[in-house]
Amino acid sequence: MTGDRKTPILELRNITKWFGREGDGILAVDDCTVKVKKGEFICVVGPSGCGKSTLLTIAAGLEKPTRGEVLVDGRPAGPPGPKRCVVFQKFALFPSETVAQNIKFGLQMTRVGAAEQEKRLAEQLAIMGLEQFRNAYPSELSGGMQQRVAIARALVMRPEILLMDEPFGALDAQTRTILQEEIQRLHKEQHYTVLFITHSVEEAVYLGERVIVMTRRPGRIKREIVLPRDVAWKQGDIEAAAEHPEFIAARREIWALVREEIVAR
Amino acid sequence: MRRKQSRWPNHGSEKIQATLYGIASLAVLLLLWIAATSLFGWIGARILPSPFAVISRFADLLIDPFGGSTLLGHASGSLERWSLGVVAAVLLGIPIGVSFAWMPWFRAVVNPVFEVLRYIPPFAWVPIAILWFGVSTMTQASVVFIAAFPAIVINSQLGVQQVDRILLNAARVYGAGSLKTLKRVVMPVAAPSIYTGIRIAISNGWMALVGAELVVGKNGLGFLISQGQNNDSVSTIFVGIISIGALGILIDTIVHRSEAILLPWRKKLAKAESS
Repeated sequence: MTGDRKTPILELRNITKWFGREGDGILAVDDCTVKVKKGEFICVVGPSGCGKSTLLTIAAGLEKPTRGEVLVDGRPAGPPGPKRCVVFQKFALFPSETVAQNIKFGLQMTRVGAAEQEKRLAEQLAIMGLEQFRNAYPSELSGGMQQRVAIARALVMRPEILLMDEPFGALDAQTRTILQEEIQRLHKEQHYTVLFITHSVEEAVYLGERVIVMTRRPGRIKREIVLPRDVAWKQGDIEAAAEHPEFIAARREIWALVREEIVAR
Repeated sequence: MRRKQSRWPNHGSEKIQATLYGIASLAVLLLLWIAATSLFGWIGARILPSPFAVISRFADLLIDPFGGSTLLGHASGSLERWSLGVVAAVLLGIPIGVSFAWMPWFRAVVNPVFEVLRYIPPFAWVPIAILWFGVSTMTQASVVFIAAFPAIVINSQLGVQQVDRILLNAARVYGAGSLKTLKRVVMPVAAPSIYTGIRIAISNGWMALVGAELVVGKNGLGFLISQGQNNDSVSTIFVGIISIGALGILIDTIVHRSEAILLPWRKKLAKAESS
């Protein structure tokens, strides 16, 4: 089963989540199934409040689904851990630790040797452009830099699965664009498996090879659109991509689906 | 419309301004004091001695013992009893406060007892302390402990409770167990709150100590004041009061300043918030 190319590396199977009592509280997610194959970049879009972040929290193991299960490599996923690294919208960096200490945190918790820690840290600092901020505290950094640190903290673990919860939602438009392109490039080079939540349709079309559209609350899977990653317009920057007719068509289609959900009664 | 041009346009100078205002107001008070006593005799020497009388008495007490010790002897005695009580309160209070927040079952069991005891004023414990410990250092140290303990427990608890959940989630995701999370993530973030608790506890303890010394004991600044009263020496009382106030400020300043050394990231947080 392990390493079998047919088995999804991450499967959210029939996930239902009630907040409060089942039947009596709030139904956030209703019978959602998502399968992610190794190396895939999956984006989930939907209107605000549709439960997409809840889905990600459940995928990470931070919340238990009311019904359904989370499977990693075909087996029950268990508690949260560095196999499923999360990048949060609000960064969630440890404020009392420096950039270097934040990035090394997971390595230290999993008892990676000191030499290996340093090596991987240096790698990530270089990749994410953080070398000169090694000893800075998060409060001294801009939002974009903080999120880079958060991404580095995740990538340094070489996770099987990367879960990203609207990671660029709290950033300004310029930083967002730059980081979108960086994530695209990183994915091309390293082939991480990524589950990426966003409310930006452009982001989803550019980054995702499959875009899953959710309905409004209670969130169900409305449609899945396939956008293979090897198309020409995904190889460059996002402005060039945005002018390509396929991009425009996909964006229009997906936005129409989302808009339906926003205005639906 | 022309904006009023400030003569000192930048940040640091605002601090200097504030300090100068502070000094100025103390100077005015001092002048009023001198005027009221030495200069115009508005207030009798038996009610309010002049600053000069107080200073002279201060000098006397540094050399000649009164009530068993010199001024420094009383001061060090007070400090000793106070620090015993405060250290005990810190050593016990921080773990208990943190545990209240971190382990709900612990809170459920212990908090009711804590809540009941906390509302009993420190002075109400003096008779019991005398009963249990006689007239000794332990008596007053225990009163200091009672006064200091609640603030530390409550602020430690609050500090831990107020740690953003998302940090706890991040710690979990990146492989930290409960204890490691507490040590590396929670405690540093809760530390400023705990520090505040310590500062409050310190001053509560100091005030309780002086009160206890007024009532029982053979040494200390509070005892000095009561001796001054028994011997009709108003200037002694004032020396005592001023010494108590001065030492209190000194201790608080030391604790306050040490925060910047022990919690370096906090300063950077404050700088970031104010920019």
